[in-house]
Amino acid sequence: MFYLSLIEHTLQLPPYLFNRPLDEAITEQLKSLFLDKVIANLGLCISVYDIRSIKGGFVFPGEGSSTYTVEFRLIMFRPFVGEVIVAKLKECDARGLRLSLGFFEDIYVPEVHLPTKSHFECYPNNRNRGRWIWNFGGAAQSEEPQDEEPQFVIDGSDRIKFRVHSVSYPSIPLEQPEDAKPFAPMLIIGTLDSDGLGPVSWWEEAEMLEEES
Amino acid sequence: MKIKEANAGPLTNFEVLDFLRSRGASKDPNKIMTSIAPSESKVFDYLVDSAACNQTKEHINEFLEKCNNYRLAKAEILNIINLRPSTLVEIDPIIEKPDKRFGQDQLEELVNTVVEVLPEPPSQKDAEQGNNADEPKATNKKNMDENAAETQTTDQENMDEDDDELIDEGQIGQDEEIEQMEDQ
Repeated sequence: MFYLSLIEHTLQLPPYLFNRPLDEAITEQLKSLFLDKVIANLGLCISVYDIRSIKGGFVFPGEGSSTYTVEFRLIMFRPFVGEVIVAKLKECDARGLRLSLGFFEDIYVPEVHLPTKSHFECYPNNRNRGRWIWNFGGAAQSEEPQDEEPQFVIDGSDRIKFRVHSVSYPSIPLEQPEDAKPFAPMLIIGTLDSDGLGPVSWWEEAEMLEEES
Repeated sequence: MKIKEANAGPLTNFEVLDFLRSRGASKDPNKIMTSIAPSESKVFDYLVDSAACNQTKEHINEFLEKCNNYRLAKAEILNIINLRPSTLVEIDPIIEKPDKRFGQDQLEELVNTVVEVLPEPPSQKDAEQGNNADEPKATNKKNMDENAAETQTTDQENMDEDDDELIDEGQIGQDEEIEQMEDQ
């Protein structure tokens, strides 16, 4: 889930940081540059891990800042394909789920990656909102009364385990329609279609049933 | 910016949590304001609730040693440490082709090792119980509020009645005045 990445960057240290110890000032400046930002193919920057080397310190003519070349390591959030991560439900609509980790919220589970034989149930008063229900072993959903089958509902009450299906870094769009969603520089597509994935409580219940039997 | 090494080593959730703690992250809201950035504190909040919260270096080293007995990929070991699967069904999605590579017994043994070596996170059930313990108080409070609201409404009603009387008196007064005017 988290990786270290070694990066070299030439940065300008503004004069207001001159009174602080050099490494502290540079860490401060690196944080303001990289923290909470996505670097394409590296992931989301979580924090500055350490500084390996600081070179330079030259003040170019006509500038108040000194320029350093710094080699440092960043903690990056970059899930690998196949990794299982615990998240929380953020939104759900007819197209699928959107999950959140708190610090990262662009995780989508499209309809095809939900457990097989899931269906979406709209709330009566609002067509865009609803919840996903997994019909466990329920091939004949319409023929049998639903009460007899255990129903597995995906709702926001507990944590959801998903497996990373793909991670993509879309390029910045040149022009965006006004009502478009905010641009997401890193997208994770997840899947719930496997044993042991989905809301944590589903499998705790199954475990308890097994123990009883 | 020059990327010298995209992958300079993976970190477990515990290591990131440990790093953030060393930077002064804590659950205390006052401390967070001063020492770490808001985005970092969000990561901290996520990790504190995960299985990593009680782990220590010793736990992880011990687990890594025991993992040598099994032919697990590094990514799988990392994932197991991060999630601490305590049942067979939980470990199943983490390991690729578990049926082909391991027998049922071996998997159970692995799960047992995980449960033994890695410390148990404060489970959700405990948290729920905690919440349940809090709930009666909350309901009491609610009742109190309702009572308070009731008394307020009754007061208001009384006030309204008083007003009505006043108005009635006023009307009477007016009527009398009108009568007097008519008399004149």
